[in-house]
Amino acid sequence: MHKALKTSEPYRIMTSNPALTSGASAPSIPSSAKRKGRLTPWFFAAPGLTLLLLFLVLPFLLALVLSFTDQRLVTNEEIGTHFVGLRNYIRLFDDDSFWAALRNNFFFVVIVTPIQSALALLLALLVNQKLAGARIFRTIYFMPVATTMAVVAVVWSLLYAPDQGVINRLVGVLSFGMVGPQDWLRNPTLVMPAVMLLSIWQGVGFQMLVFLAGLQSIPLDLYEAAKLDGATARQQFLYVTLPMLKNTTIFVLITTTIYAFQLFTQVQIIANSGTPAPVDSFRTMVMLMVQEGFSNGKIGYASAISVVFFLIVLAISLVQRLLLKEERAV
Amino acid sequence: MASVKMRKIRKTYDNSVEVIKGVDLEVKDGEFMVFVGPSGCGKSTMMRMIAGLEEISDGELHIGERLANDLPPVDRKVAMVFQSYALYPHMTVAENMGFGLKLAGTPKAEVKEIVGKAAEILRISHLLERRPKALSGGQRQRVAIGRAIVRKPGVFLFDEPLSNLDAGLRVQMRVELTKLHKELGSTMIYVTHDQTEAMTMGDRIAVFNQGVVEQVGPPMELYRDPVNTFVAEFLGAPKMNLLPAKWAKQGNGAMLEVGGCKIPWNGDGAGPIEAVRDDLLLGIRPEHIDVLSDASETGTIGAKLEVVERLGDTVLLYVKIAGLDSHVAVKLPEDGNQWSRGAVVGLRPREKAALLFARSGQRVN
Amino acid sequence: MSAVPFQPSLGRSKMIARVLQYALHIALVLFFLFPLVFMFVSAFKGDELQLLKDMGSMMAFVPHGDVSGKNFASVFSSSSFRQAFFNSTFTVSITVILGILVNSMLAYALARFRFRGRTLILTAIIALIIIPFEAIAVPLLMLVNELPWFSGTRGWLDSYQVQIIPFVAHAFSIYLFYQFFIALPKDLEEAAMMDGASRLRIYWSIVMPLSKPVIATVAVLQFLSRWGDLLWPVMVVRGDNYATLPLAMQTFFGQYPRHWGEVMAFAAMATLPTLSLFIVFQRWFVRSAISSGVKG
Repeated sequence: MHKALKTSEPYRIMTSNPALTSGASAPSIPSSAKRKGRLTPWFFAAPGLTLLLLFLVLPFLLALVLSFTDQRLVTNEEIGTHFVGLRNYIRLFDDDSFWAALRNNFFFVVIVTPIQSALALLLALLVNQKLAGARIFRTIYFMPVATTMAVVAVVWSLLYAPDQGVINRLVGVLSFGMVGPQDWLRNPTLVMPAVMLLSIWQGVGFQMLVFLAGLQSIPLDLYEAAKLDGATARQQFLYVTLPMLKNTTIFVLITTTIYAFQLFTQVQIIANSGTPAPVDSFRTMVMLMVQEGFSNGKIGYASAISVVFFLIVLAISLVQRLLLKEERAV
Repeated sequence: MASVKMRKIRKTYDNSVEVIKGVDLEVKDGEFMVFVGPSGCGKSTMMRMIAGLEEISDGELHIGERLANDLPPVDRKVAMVFQSYALYPHMTVAENMGFGLKLAGTPKAEVKEIVGKAAEILRISHLLERRPKALSGGQRQRVAIGRAIVRKPGVFLFDEPLSNLDAGLRVQMRVELTKLHKELGSTMIYVTHDQTEAMTMGDRIAVFNQGVVEQVGPPMELYRDPVNTFVAEFLGAPKMNLLPAKWAKQGNGAMLEVGGCKIPWNGDGAGPIEAVRDDLLLGIRPEHIDVLSDASETGTIGAKLEVVERLGDTVLLYVKIAGLDSHVAVKLPEDGNQWSRGAVVGLRPREKAALLFARSGQRVN
Repeated sequence: MSAVPFQPSLGRSKMIARVLQYALHIALVLFFLFPLVFMFVSAFKGDELQLLKDMGSMMAFVPHGDVSGKNFASVFSSSSFRQAFFNSTFTVSITVILGILVNSMLAYALARFRFRGRTLILTAIIALIIIPFEAIAVPLLMLVNELPWFSGTRGWLDSYQVQIIPFVAHAFSIYLFYQFFIALPKDLEEAAMMDGASRLRIYWSIVMPLSKPVIATVAVLQFLSRWGDLLWPVMVVRGDNYATLPLAMQTFFGQYPRHWGEVMAFAAMATLPTLSLFIVFQRWFVRSAISSGVKG
């Protein structure tokens, strides 16, 4: 439309013929242009909105609905699907495997979240020093993040090999021979700690960068002011760095916690490695959900697990909002 | 070339805030018109409506002979130079200048020629292959102007184009823009909050205030003959002094009482002045006050000298009249006088240049 | 600059601090590198018995004995590695490219147009960010199992589209784009409008070229999460034809008899592309991590 108007040099034509302009052609252009203008945003928004509705909103609502039914993955025409009320949730409540999975997740959270966050802060502080090679160190600490979790889990399951395994030797040396070789992935009490260690190894670099960003956003003049006030390095850390990192720390703790509840790949690989450790000693909620929904075809029941899982994540996110009292710009 | 006619133009935002409250204005073909006013006065909004970047809520806008209210920007034959220059950072200077032509489907060779010519006029031919990032502020300014020139617009719109330049460059570009206007002969509308730019560049000035045009006219006319205190104070630096005054008949003539002193007033005494005789403002520009070392002379206002600023060619005196809150500024040619702070002096406004306003701001004489 | 008498002691304590820092760094470097070094070194060990025997000593980290590319060769020729590598590259790159387009367009509409429903949509999208994929995986599995495809078949299981289309629209990416767009100065787009550019042209020729940082951020975040995903492939892919690297890794790892040298070669080859991408585009990775943190 624009092109046609321009090539005909409308301006000159119209200056010489004002009657034509104000009378006939001018009003017709704007009204069509206005209609087109109203549709333009929808042209931009439609693909994304459609996909979001179809693949995020709809499944989310489906999860809620299906959790009250006995829906199966392969529907049986004769039996059909029924509304079963709270039956799935009641069963969940009585399911020892569910409680075991929940316990595994909580165990993981309680140990990994503080350790990983603290280690991330330590790493961030270290690479933030003006030290030759700091950038290289940063790169190395981040490298595991850029590897694939499935690969990491596989490599570590060899490192965890019983008897003469690398980890066993390492533990032996570091404990001066006090701790003997362990069968990490078969011993029900050790399998979760083993998963934790490899998870921290893989994930901590990411939080390090988040902390680093937090550190670098602290204005330098705050430190200069503190120095003029006579603060020692330790005091500067306690009274400037830590308070200024408050929001970053909350963010890291919360995301690490949510991430811990999403735990799947590591334990899935270990389960698949043929460990004889009882599955309840390391199965997580997501893994249970996949097994119930996919392997056992119990979509209704798995949906109930999904809903519980979502409620946990939602609760954690709400805690974060509460702590940060953040005002999002809308 | 084109004229721009604004008829009762209004702009209301969704939240029903009216920012333009009925503007009637005509910019003649080939004229350099300056929109001036404090920030938030609506001058930029008015320009953006002419450009087609803001919808016109009410009224009519004619560009040339065409009703332009609902035309898309590109069809209005206007070009705009933005305050931030708005150069596309990922394109070279040549690409920046030729972008509009390219979109219009102009053949490449032709674009190159047109851009080359514009670059010559602006003396930026050697910069054509550079990116905006590699240019100085003044060079970016030229590119932004060049981008406007290549479109051969009927009307140029300038939105505070010099405000990002440092003082020296600003003066230089001011002169160059005026020259460019002479060369191109196009209609130009120039928005600024800087009264110096308004005074020096415009064929005519439109003073905006709170969504209305207070006064339109050639710079010196507005300077000498403002219709109200707003225009009077806005143009000129230091600002026009406004002193509370009372008017009274005295014999055949009249007199004004200012700061406890009486000064003769021979101007027309009938009508408007009399209506507000006890509540007047005497407007007098700093350069229209004579300072006498003898404060007791009749027809002078006694005042205390508080601050002296020597600017080299001129001297600014800030004096305090008993009973008045603000200082009175006086501008004198530098004459080697040693003004001493605290001295008591007599002020004598030059009557011919003095203006009288009602408290509401309206001119009454 | 500061008082002179202070300098010597300050210098010494600084020296000690520096030595301590380096010592800490070295310990950490060992901790973060040993599994990777172990993986690469083991992958080159052609003698399986020797590989296992070495694990009890420092030799685990030293390529010695039968050092060859034998493991790589057999992984490359005998297994599903090549197919999985292609599948991963294909699905992830299409997802990322489509994602950049679709998400940025939606964000552009939200950032630059005033239209009915805008605020509602924006609020909804921000709310959707907290829904983790895990919470919708099961019903999504059911859903894709019922969806038709252009070929006339029903059900998307075992296909490329099932690993691409559900992941194109991404609430957090939209939010990142939105944040970036509202911070862009409007002048440029207005200048383009004066130049006669259409909205689509402005989006494509002005906004997107200026959005390289956020495009890179979104691309990296999407790439990392899609490339490493095992959950969805486990649910929707059977067999080797459409398996991505993590799933193929799991399958290969679960095969008996297990040949560790080949497993490590597989792992090394699966890691190398992402690791080298990271080293080359480190700056963007870092920025992504940071922006994901700052925005929350």
